[in-house]
Amino acid sequence: MNGGWRAYLRLLAIQGTWNYERMLGVGMGYAAEPLLDDLKTIDPVRHSEAVVRSTDFFNCNPNLAGLALGATAKAEYDAVPGNQIARLRTALCSPLGALGDQLFWAGLIPALLGFAMAAIALGARWWPVLGFLALYNIARALTGIWALRTGYDSGMNVGAAIAKSWIPGAITRVGPVAGFAMGLALPLVATWYLRGIGWAGALGTLAVAATGVAVTRWYGVALTTVRFALLAILLLVLFRGIFP
Amino acid sequence: MSELTLASALLLVGWGTLVALDLVSVPQAMIARPIVAGAVAGWMTGDLDAGLRVGLLFELFALDVLPVGAVRYPDYGPATVVATALAAGAPWQFALGLSAALGLVLAVLGGLSLQLVRRLNARAIQRRAAALSAGESSAIRRLQYGGLLRDALRGGLLTALGLLAAWIIDTRVRLDGSTALGLTLVAVGCALSAAGGGALRSAGRGARLRWLAAGAVVGLVLAVLA
Repeated sequence: MNGGWRAYLRLLAIQGTWNYERMLGVGMGYAAEPLLDDLKTIDPVRHSEAVVRSTDFFNCNPNLAGLALGATAKAEYDAVPGNQIARLRTALCSPLGALGDQLFWAGLIPALLGFAMAAIALGARWWPVLGFLALYNIARALTGIWALRTGYDSGMNVGAAIAKSWIPGAITRVGPVAGFAMGLALPLVATWYLRGIGWAGALGTLAVAATGVAVTRWYGVALTTVRFALLAILLLVLFRGIFP
Repeated sequence: MSELTLASALLLVGWGTLVALDLVSVPQAMIARPIVAGAVAGWMTGDLDAGLRVGLLFELFALDVLPVGAVRYPDYGPATVVATALAAGAPWQFALGLSAALGLVLAVLGGLSLQLVRRLNARAIQRRAAALSAGESSAIRRLQYGGLLRDALRGGLLTALGLLAAWIIDTRVRLDGSTALGLTLVAVGCALSAAGGGALRSAGRGARLRWLAAGAVVGLVLAVLA
Protein backbone atom coordinates (compact mmCIF):
# COMPACT_ATOMS: atom_id res chain seq x y z
CA MET A 1 0.00 0.00 0.00
CA ASN A 2 1.93 3.05 -1.24
CA GLY A 3 1.03 6.37 0.37
CA GLY A 4 -0.45 4.65 3.43
CA TRP A 5 1.18 6.88 6.02
CA ARG A 6 0.26 10.05 4.15
CA ALA A 7 -3.30 8.80 3.85
CA TYR A 8 -3.34 8.02 7.58
CA LEU A 9 -2.12 11.51 8.49
CA ARG A 10 -4.69 13.06 6.17
CA LEU A 11 -7.40 10.99 7.84
CA LEU A 12 -6.74 13.05 10.99
CA ALA A 13 -8.22 16.01 9.09
CA ILE A 14 -11.05 14.04 7.47
CA GLN A 15 -13.66 16.38 8.97
CA GLY A 16 -11.87 19.54 7.80
CA THR A 17 -14.55 20.26 5.19
CA TRP A 18 -17.50 18.84 7.15
CA ASN A 19 -20.80 20.13 5.73
CA TYR A 20 -24.47 19.18 5.66
CA GLU A 21 -24.40 18.06 1.98
CA ARG A 22 -21.44 15.71 1.49
CA MET A 23 -20.51 15.45 5.18
CA LEU A 24 -17.05 13.74 5.21
CA GLY A 25 -17.02 13.37 1.40
CA VAL A 26 -14.36 15.92 0.49
CA GLY A 27 -12.23 14.92 3.50
CA MET A 28 -12.32 11.32 2.26
CA GLY A 29 -11.20 12.52 -1.15
CA TYR A 30 -8.33 14.44 0.43
CA ALA A 31 -7.22 11.36 2.39
CA ALA A 32 -7.63 9.07 -0.66
CA GLU A 33 -5.31 11.15 -2.86
CA PRO A 34 -1.99 9.54 -1.74
CA LEU A 35 -3.48 6.04 -1.97
CA LEU A 36 -4.72 6.61 -5.52
CA ASP A 37 -1.46 8.18 -6.78
CA ASP A 38 -0.16 4.96 -8.39
CA LEU A 39 -3.42 4.53 -10.30
CA LYS A 40 -2.53 7.69 -12.25
CA THR A 41 0.27 5.87 -14.09
CA ILE A 42 -1.63 2.56 -14.43
CA ASP A 43 -4.91 3.98 -15.77
CA PRO A 44 -5.30 7.79 -15.84
CA VAL A 45 -9.00 7.65 -16.81
CA ARG A 46 -9.79 5.24 -13.98
CA HIS A 47 -7.78 7.47 -11.61
CA SER A 48 -9.87 10.46 -12.54
CA GLU A 49 -13.11 8.53 -11.97
CA ALA A 50 -11.78 7.21 -8.66
CA VAL A 51 -10.97 10.74 -7.45
CA VAL A 52 -14.52 11.86 -8.30
CA ARG A 53 -16.01 8.87 -6.44
CA SER A 54 -13.77 9.52 -3.42
CA THR A 55 -15.34 12.95 -2.81
CA ASP A 56 -18.98 11.83 -2.96
CA PHE A 57 -21.23 11.86 0.11
CA PHE A 58 -19.80 9.88 3.00
CA ASN A 59 -20.27 9.86 6.74
CA CYS A 60 -19.09 7.62 9.57
CA ASN A 61 -17.08 7.83 12.77
CA PRO A 62 -13.75 9.41 11.72
CA ASN A 63 -11.69 6.87 13.66
CA LEU A 64 -13.01 4.00 11.53
CA ALA A 65 -13.10 5.89 8.22
CA GLY A 66 -9.82 4.17 7.27
CA LEU A 67 -11.72 0.91 6.77
CA ALA A 68 -13.85 2.48 4.03
CA LEU A 69 -10.93 4.43 2.61
CA GLY A 70 -8.63 1.40 2.37
CA ALA A 71 -11.37 -0.87 1.01
CA THR A 72 -12.48 1.52 -1.74
CA ALA A 73 -8.89 2.33 -2.75
CA LYS A 74 -8.12 -1.40 -3.07
CA ALA A 75 -11.30 -1.89 -5.09
CA GLU A 76 -10.20 0.87 -7.46
CA TYR A 77 -6.87 -0.92 -8.07
CA ASP A 78 -8.75 -4.23 -8.52
CA ALA A 79 -10.82 -2.58 -11.30
CA VAL A 80 -14.11 -3.29 -9.54
CA PRO A 81 -16.98 -1.56 -11.43
CA GLY A 82 -17.52 1.99 -10.20
CA ASN A 83 -21.17 1.49 -9.24
CA GLN A 84 -20.18 -1.40 -6.95
CA ILE A 85 -17.57 0.77 -5.23
CA ALA A 86 -20.15 3.53 -4.74
CA ARG A 87 -22.56 0.97 -3.25
CA LEU A 88 -19.87 -0.34 -0.90
CA ARG A 89 -19.13 3.20 0.26
CA THR A 90 -22.80 3.88 0.94
CA ALA A 91 -23.27 0.55 2.68
CA LEU A 92 -20.34 1.22 5.04
CA CYS A 93 -21.64 4.58 6.30
CA SER A 94 -24.12 3.30 8.90
CA PRO A 95 -22.17 0.34 10.35
CA LEU A 96 -18.91 2.29 10.63
CA GLY A 97 -20.80 5.19 12.19
CA ALA A 98 -22.61 2.98 14.69
CA LEU A 99 -19.57 0.88 15.62
CA GLY A 100 -17.20 3.84 15.90
CA ASP A 101 -19.60 5.96 17.90
CA GLN A 102 -20.31 3.12 20.34
CA LEU A 103 -16.63 2.29 20.67
CA PHE A 104 -15.33 5.84 21.08
CA TRP A 105 -18.06 8.35 21.93
CA ALA A 106 -20.17 6.07 24.13
CA GLY A 107 -17.35 3.81 25.35
CA LEU A 108 -13.68 4.72 25.47
CA ILE A 109 -14.03 8.49 25.88
CA PRO A 110 -16.53 8.50 28.79
CA ALA A 111 -14.58 5.64 30.42
CA LEU A 112 -11.27 7.51 30.32
CA LEU A 113 -12.89 10.82 31.24
CA GLY A 114 -14.72 9.26 34.18
CA PHE A 115 -11.52 7.86 35.68
CA ALA A 116 -9.64 11.12 34.96
CA MET A 117 -12.32 13.24 36.65
CA ALA A 118 -12.45 10.91 39.65
CA ALA A 119 -8.65 11.13 40.00
CA ILE A 120 -8.71 14.94 39.85
CA ALA A 121 -11.46 15.04 42.47
CA LEU A 122 -9.34 12.80 44.68
CA GLY A 123 -6.47 15.29 44.56
CA ALA A 124 -4.37 14.33 41.55
CA ARG A 125 -3.69 17.41 39.45
CA TRP A 126 -1.97 17.14 36.05
CA TRP A 127 -1.46 13.46 35.55
CA PRO A 128 -5.08 12.38 34.93
CA VAL A 129 -5.32 14.94 32.13
CA LEU A 130 -2.08 13.68 30.57
CA GLY A 131 -3.12 10.06 31.13
CA PHE A 132 -6.45 10.67 29.40
CA LEU A 133 -4.76 12.30 26.41
CA ALA A 134 -2.06 9.60 26.14
CA LEU A 135 -4.38 6.59 26.45
CA TYR A 136 -7.00 7.98 24.09
CA ASN A 137 -4.51 8.96 21.42
CA ILE A 138 -2.63 5.64 21.58
CA ALA A 139 -5.92 3.71 21.23
CA ARG A 140 -7.11 5.96 18.47
CA ALA A 141 -3.81 5.84 16.53
CA LEU A 142 -3.62 2.05 16.70
CA THR A 143 -7.28 1.78 15.63
CA GLY A 144 -6.73 4.18 12.73
CA ILE A 145 -3.67 2.29 11.44
CA TRP A 146 -5.46 -1.07 11.84
CA ALA A 147 -8.55 0.29 10.05
CA LEU A 148 -6.62 1.54 7.02
CA ARG A 149 -4.59 -1.68 6.71
CA THR A 150 -7.60 -3.98 7.22
CA GLY A 151 -9.65 -2.00 4.72
CA TYR A 152 -6.90 -2.15 2.10
CA ASP A 153 -6.21 -5.85 2.67
CA SER A 154 -9.91 -6.78 2.48
CA GLY A 155 -11.12 -4.62 -0.41
CA MET A 156 -14.70 -5.52 -1.28
CA ASN A 157 -14.78 -8.09 1.57
CA VAL A 158 -14.31 -5.43 4.23
CA GLY A 159 -17.75 -6.15 5.73
CA ALA A 160 -16.75 -9.70 6.64
CA ALA A 161 -13.40 -8.45 7.98
CA ILE A 162 -15.19 -6.00 10.30
CA ALA A 163 -17.61 -8.67 11.54
CA LYS A 164 -14.69 -10.99 12.41
CA SER A 165 -12.58 -8.23 13.95
CA TRP A 166 -12.03 -7.23 17.59
CA ILE A 167 -14.43 -4.27 17.36
CA PRO A 168 -17.79 -5.91 18.29
CA GLY A 169 -16.18 -7.59 21.32
CA ALA A 170 -14.48 -4.39 22.43
CA ILE A 171 -17.79 -2.50 22.30
CA THR A 172 -19.41 -5.11 24.55
CA ARG A 173 -16.60 -4.76 27.08
CA VAL A 174 -16.06 -0.99 27.07
CA GLY A 175 -19.73 -0.04 27.66
CA PRO A 176 -19.91 -1.32 31.26
CA VAL A 177 -16.48 0.18 32.01
CA ALA A 178 -17.76 3.57 30.82
CA GLY A 179 -20.88 3.18 32.96
CA PHE A 180 -18.79 2.33 36.03
CA ALA A 181 -16.37 5.21 35.43
CA MET A 182 -19.20 7.73 35.08
CA GLY A 183 -20.89 6.41 38.21
CA LEU A 184 -17.59 6.62 40.10
CA ALA A 185 -16.82 10.17 38.96
CA LEU A 186 -20.14 11.91 39.65
CA PRO A 187 -20.28 11.64 43.48
CA LEU A 188 -16.56 12.37 43.77
CA VAL A 189 -16.75 15.46 41.58
CA ALA A 190 -19.92 16.65 43.36
CA THR A 191 -18.17 16.29 46.73
CA TRP A 192 -15.08 18.05 45.37
CA TYR A 193 -17.16 21.13 44.56
CA LEU A 194 -19.49 21.04 47.55
CA ARG A 195 -17.02 20.28 50.35
CA GLY A 196 -16.68 23.33 52.58
CA ILE A 197 -19.77 25.02 51.11
CA GLY A 198 -22.00 24.05 54.04
CA TRP A 199 -25.08 21.83 54.21
CA ALA A 200 -27.56 24.44 53.01
CA GLY A 201 -25.53 25.29 49.93
CA ALA A 202 -24.86 21.64 49.15
CA LEU A 203 -28.52 20.72 49.46
CA GLY A 204 -29.50 23.67 47.26
CA THR A 205 -27.01 22.58 44.60
CA LEU A 206 -28.28 19.00 44.67
CA ALA A 207 -31.86 20.31 44.40
CA VAL A 208 -30.86 22.30 41.29
CA ALA A 209 -29.21 19.16 39.88
CA ALA A 210 -32.29 16.99 40.52
CA THR A 211 -34.59 19.65 39.04
CA GLY A 212 -32.32 19.89 36.00
CA VAL A 213 -32.37 16.13 35.37
CA ALA A 214 -36.18 16.01 35.70
CA VAL A 215 -36.96 19.16 33.68
CA THR A 216 -34.56 18.44 30.80
CA ARG A 217 -35.90 14.88 30.61
CA TRP A 218 -39.50 16.10 30.39
CA TYR A 219 -38.95 18.96 27.95
CA GLY A 220 -36.25 17.21 25.88
CA VAL A 221 -35.03 19.22 22.90
CA ALA A 222 -36.90 22.41 23.88
CA LEU A 223 -34.99 22.77 27.17
CA THR A 224 -31.42 21.50 26.81
CA THR A 225 -29.12 21.42 29.81
CA VAL A 226 -27.33 24.56 28.63
CA ARG A 227 -30.61 26.46 28.25
CA PHE A 228 -31.70 25.24 31.66
CA ALA A 229 -28.40 26.44 33.16
CA LEU A 230 -28.62 29.88 31.53
CA LEU A 231 -32.24 30.20 32.66
CA ALA A 232 -31.35 29.22 36.24
CA ILE A 233 -28.45 31.70 36.32
CA LEU A 234 -30.69 34.46 34.94
CA LEU A 235 -33.39 33.71 37.51
CA LEU A 236 -30.85 33.85 40.33
CA VAL A 237 -29.48 37.21 39.14
CA LEU A 238 -33.03 38.60 38.86
CA PHE A 239 -33.95 37.26 42.29
CA ARG A 240 -30.86 38.82 43.85
CA GLY A 241 -31.61 42.08 42.05
CA ILE A 242 -35.14 42.21 43.45
CA PHE A 243 -34.29 40.87 46.93
CA PRO A 244 -30.70 42.01 47.58
CA MET B 1 -9.19 37.64 36.56
CA SER B 2 -5.41 37.64 36.60
CA GLU B 3 -3.69 40.54 34.88
CA LEU B 4 -3.28 39.47 31.26
CA THR B 5 -0.29 40.72 29.28
CA LEU B 6 -0.58 40.96 25.50
CA ALA B 7 1.66 37.90 25.21
CA SER B 8 -0.47 35.78 27.53
CA ALA B 9 -3.68 36.96 25.81
CA LEU B 10 -2.22 35.96 22.44
CA LEU B 11 -1.15 32.63 23.91
CA LEU B 12 -4.73 32.04 25.10
CA VAL B 13 -6.15 33.01 21.70
CA GLY B 14 -3.70 30.56 20.08
CA TRP B 15 -4.74 27.82 22.49
CA GLY B 16 -8.43 28.61 21.94
CA THR B 17 -7.88 28.35 18.18
CA LEU B 18 -6.20 24.94 18.48
CA VAL B 19 -8.92 23.74 20.81
CA ALA B 20 -11.67 24.91 18.42
CA LEU B 21 -9.95 23.18 15.48
CA ASP B 22 -9.62 19.97 17.46
CA LEU B 23 -13.35 19.67 18.13
CA VAL B 24 -14.22 18.66 14.57
CA SER B 25 -11.65 19.59 11.93
CA VAL B 26 -8.21 18.40 12.99
CA PRO B 27 -6.77 16.36 14.73
CA GLN B 28 -9.57 15.32 17.16
CA ALA B 29 -6.91 14.48 19.73
CA MET B 30 -9.38 15.46 22.49
CA ILE B 31 -7.57 18.66 23.48
CA ALA B 32 -11.01 20.24 22.89
CA ARG B 33 -12.36 18.37 25.93
CA PRO B 34 -12.91 21.01 28.63
CA ILE B 35 -10.85 19.04 31.15
CA VAL B 36 -7.80 19.45 28.87
CA ALA B 37 -8.60 22.92 27.53
CA GLY B 38 -9.17 24.21 31.07
CA ALA B 39 -6.05 22.63 32.59
CA VAL B 40 -3.77 24.08 29.91
CA ALA B 41 -5.49 27.50 30.06
CA GLY B 42 -5.09 27.40 33.85
CA TRP B 43 -1.39 26.68 33.47
CA MET B 44 -1.09 29.54 30.96
CA THR B 45 -2.75 32.01 33.31
CA GLY B 46 -0.72 30.78 36.28
CA ASP B 47 -3.69 29.25 38.11
CA LEU B 48 -3.89 25.53 37.42
CA ASP B 49 -6.55 25.03 40.10
CA ALA B 50 -8.88 27.51 38.39
CA GLY B 51 -8.30 25.63 35.12
CA LEU B 52 -9.19 22.31 36.71
CA ARG B 53 -12.28 23.69 38.48
CA VAL B 54 -13.59 25.36 35.30
CA GLY B 55 -12.50 22.44 33.11
CA LEU B 56 -14.31 19.85 35.20
CA LEU B 57 -17.42 22.00 35.38
CA PHE B 58 -17.65 22.30 31.59
CA GLU B 59 -16.67 18.64 31.20
CA LEU B 60 -19.81 17.77 33.16
CA PHE B 61 -21.85 19.82 30.67
CA ALA B 62 -20.01 18.27 27.71
CA LEU B 63 -20.77 14.73 28.93
CA ASP B 64 -24.39 15.39 27.98
CA VAL B 65 -23.34 15.71 24.32
CA LEU B 66 -23.01 12.74 21.98
CA PRO B 67 -21.48 14.33 18.86
CA VAL B 68 -22.62 11.80 16.29
CA GLY B 69 -23.90 12.28 12.75
CA ALA B 70 -25.11 15.80 12.01
CA VAL B 71 -26.11 16.58 15.60
CA ARG B 72 -25.73 20.24 16.70
CA TYR B 73 -24.00 20.93 19.99
CA PRO B 74 -22.29 23.74 21.91
CA ASP B 75 -18.53 24.23 21.50
CA TYR B 76 -17.16 24.05 25.04
CA GLY B 77 -13.45 24.32 24.13
CA PRO B 78 -12.86 28.07 23.57
CA ALA B 79 -15.59 28.74 26.18
CA THR B 80 -13.54 26.84 28.77
CA VAL B 81 -10.37 28.73 27.84
CA VAL B 82 -12.10 32.11 28.29
CA ALA B 83 -13.94 31.07 31.47
CA THR B 84 -10.64 29.88 32.97
CA ALA B 85 -9.03 33.24 32.17
CA LEU B 86 -11.91 35.02 33.93
CA ALA B 87 -11.78 32.74 36.98
CA ALA B 88 -7.98 32.76 37.36
CA GLY B 89 -6.50 34.49 40.36
CA ALA B 90 -9.74 34.64 42.39
CA PRO B 91 -11.19 32.23 44.99
CA TRP B 92 -13.03 29.64 42.91
CA GLN B 93 -16.15 29.63 45.12
CA PHE B 94 -16.85 33.23 44.08
CA ALA B 95 -15.43 33.23 40.53
CA LEU B 96 -16.74 29.97 39.10
CA GLY B 97 -20.39 31.00 38.70
CA LEU B 98 -19.78 34.20 36.76
CA SER B 99 -17.15 32.57 34.54
CA ALA B 100 -19.51 29.64 33.94
CA ALA B 101 -22.24 32.06 32.84
CA LEU B 102 -19.90 33.71 30.33
CA GLY B 103 -18.59 30.30 29.22
CA LEU B 104 -22.06 28.91 28.60
CA VAL B 105 -23.01 31.89 26.43
CA LEU B 106 -19.76 31.44 24.47
CA ALA B 107 -20.36 27.71 24.14
CA VAL B 108 -23.77 28.39 22.55
CA LEU B 109 -22.22 31.00 20.23
CA GLY B 110 -19.46 28.50 19.40
CA GLY B 111 -22.04 25.90 18.41
CA LEU B 112 -23.81 28.43 16.16
CA SER B 113 -20.52 29.49 14.58
CA LEU B 114 -19.74 25.84 13.86
CA GLN B 115 -22.99 25.56 11.91
CA LEU B 116 -22.06 28.70 9.98
CA VAL B 117 -18.68 27.21 9.06
CA ARG B 118 -20.42 24.04 7.85
CA ARG B 119 -22.73 26.07 5.63
CA LEU B 120 -19.77 28.06 4.26
CA ASN B 121 -18.00 24.76 3.53
CA ALA B 122 -21.04 23.58 1.57
CA ARG B 123 -21.09 26.82 -0.42
CA ALA B 124 -17.38 26.51 -1.22
CA ILE B 125 -17.98 22.95 -2.45
CA GLN B 126 -20.87 24.10 -4.63
CA ARG B 127 -18.61 26.77 -6.16
CA ARG B 128 -16.04 24.12 -7.06
CA ALA B 129 -18.55 21.45 -8.11
CA ALA B 130 -17.33 21.45 -11.72
CA ALA B 131 -13.71 20.93 -10.68
CA LEU B 132 -14.73 18.12 -8.31
CA SER B 133 -16.77 16.44 -11.07
CA ALA B 134 -13.69 16.60 -13.30
CA GLY B 135 -11.62 14.82 -10.63
CA GLU B 136 -9.20 17.72 -10.01
CA SER B 137 -7.11 16.86 -6.96
CA SER B 138 -6.04 20.50 -6.56
CA ALA B 139 -9.70 21.49 -6.01
CA ILE B 140 -10.02 18.93 -3.20
CA ARG B 141 -6.89 20.27 -1.51
CA ARG B 142 -8.06 23.89 -1.79
CA LEU B 143 -11.44 23.00 -0.32
CA GLN B 144 -9.81 21.12 2.53
CA TYR B 145 -7.38 23.92 3.42
CA GLY B 146 -10.18 26.49 3.09
CA GLY B 147 -12.35 24.53 5.53
CA LEU B 148 -9.52 24.28 8.04
CA LEU B 149 -8.78 28.01 7.73
CA ARG B 150 -12.45 28.92 8.28
CA ASP B 151 -12.59 26.78 11.42
CA ALA B 152 -9.32 28.25 12.73
CA LEU B 153 -10.63 31.78 12.19
CA ARG B 154 -13.84 30.81 13.99
CA GLY B 155 -11.91 29.55 17.01
CA GLY B 156 -9.54 32.52 17.12
CA LEU B 157 -12.32 35.09 16.84
CA LEU B 158 -14.49 33.32 19.40
CA THR B 159 -11.64 33.19 21.93
CA ALA B 160 -10.56 36.80 21.29
CA LEU B 161 -14.11 38.14 21.63
CA GLY B 162 -14.61 35.98 24.71
CA LEU B 163 -11.46 37.38 26.33
CA LEU B 164 -12.64 40.91 25.56
CA ALA B 165 -16.01 40.12 27.21
CA ALA B 166 -14.15 38.60 30.19
CA TRP B 167 -12.07 41.75 30.57
CA ILE B 168 -15.19 43.95 30.44
CA ILE B 169 -16.96 41.77 33.03
CA ASP B 170 -13.88 41.81 35.25
CA THR B 171 -13.61 45.58 35.18
CA ARG B 172 -17.33 46.48 35.26
CA VAL B 173 -19.28 43.77 37.11
CA ARG B 174 -19.14 43.72 40.89
CA LEU B 175 -21.11 40.97 42.59
CA ASP B 176 -21.67 40.70 46.34
CA GLY B 177 -20.32 37.53 47.95
CA SER B 178 -23.60 35.71 48.36
CA THR B 179 -24.69 36.32 44.73
CA ALA B 180 -21.31 35.14 43.45
CA LEU B 181 -21.47 32.03 45.63
CA GLY B 182 -25.10 31.43 44.60
CA LEU B 183 -24.11 31.59 40.93
CA THR B 184 -21.38 29.03 41.55
CA LEU B 185 -23.77 26.66 43.31
CA VAL B 186 -26.37 27.01 40.52
CA ALA B 187 -23.69 26.40 37.87
CA VAL B 188 -22.40 23.30 39.69
CA GLY B 189 -25.95 22.01 40.16
CA CYS B 190 -26.75 22.48 36.46
CA ALA B 191 -23.47 20.83 35.44
CA LEU B 192 -24.20 17.83 37.68
CA SER B 193 -27.68 17.57 36.19
CA ALA B 194 -26.22 17.59 32.66
CA ALA B 195 -23.69 14.85 33.46
CA GLY B 196 -26.19 12.82 35.50
CA GLY B 197 -28.85 13.05 32.78
CA GLY B 198 -26.31 12.15 30.09
CA ALA B 199 -24.98 9.18 32.09
CA LEU B 200 -28.51 7.86 32.70
CA ARG B 201 -29.46 8.26 29.05
CA SER B 202 -26.39 6.44 27.73
CA ALA B 203 -26.71 3.72 30.39
CA GLY B 204 -30.12 2.63 29.10
CA ARG B 205 -31.71 -0.19 31.09
CA GLY B 206 -29.21 -3.01 30.65
CA ALA B 207 -25.91 -4.06 32.17
CA ARG B 208 -24.44 -0.60 31.77
CA LEU B 209 -27.03 0.85 34.16
CA ARG B 210 -26.02 -1.71 36.79
CA TRP B 211 -22.36 -0.78 36.31
CA LEU B 212 -23.28 2.91 36.58
CA ALA B 213 -25.00 2.21 39.90
CA ALA B 214 -22.03 0.12 41.12
CA GLY B 215 -19.65 2.94 40.20
CA ALA B 216 -21.84 5.46 42.02
CA VAL B 217 -21.76 3.35 45.20
CA VAL B 218 -17.95 3.07 45.06
CA GLY B 219 -17.72 6.80 44.33
CA LEU B 220 -19.91 7.64 47.32
CA VAL B 221 -17.82 5.44 49.63
CA LEU B 222 -14.60 7.06 48.38
CA ALA B 223 -16.14 10.52 48.74
CA VAL B 224 -17.01 9.80 52.38
CA LEU B 225 -13.58 8.32 53.11
CA ALA B 226 -11.53 10.98 51.28
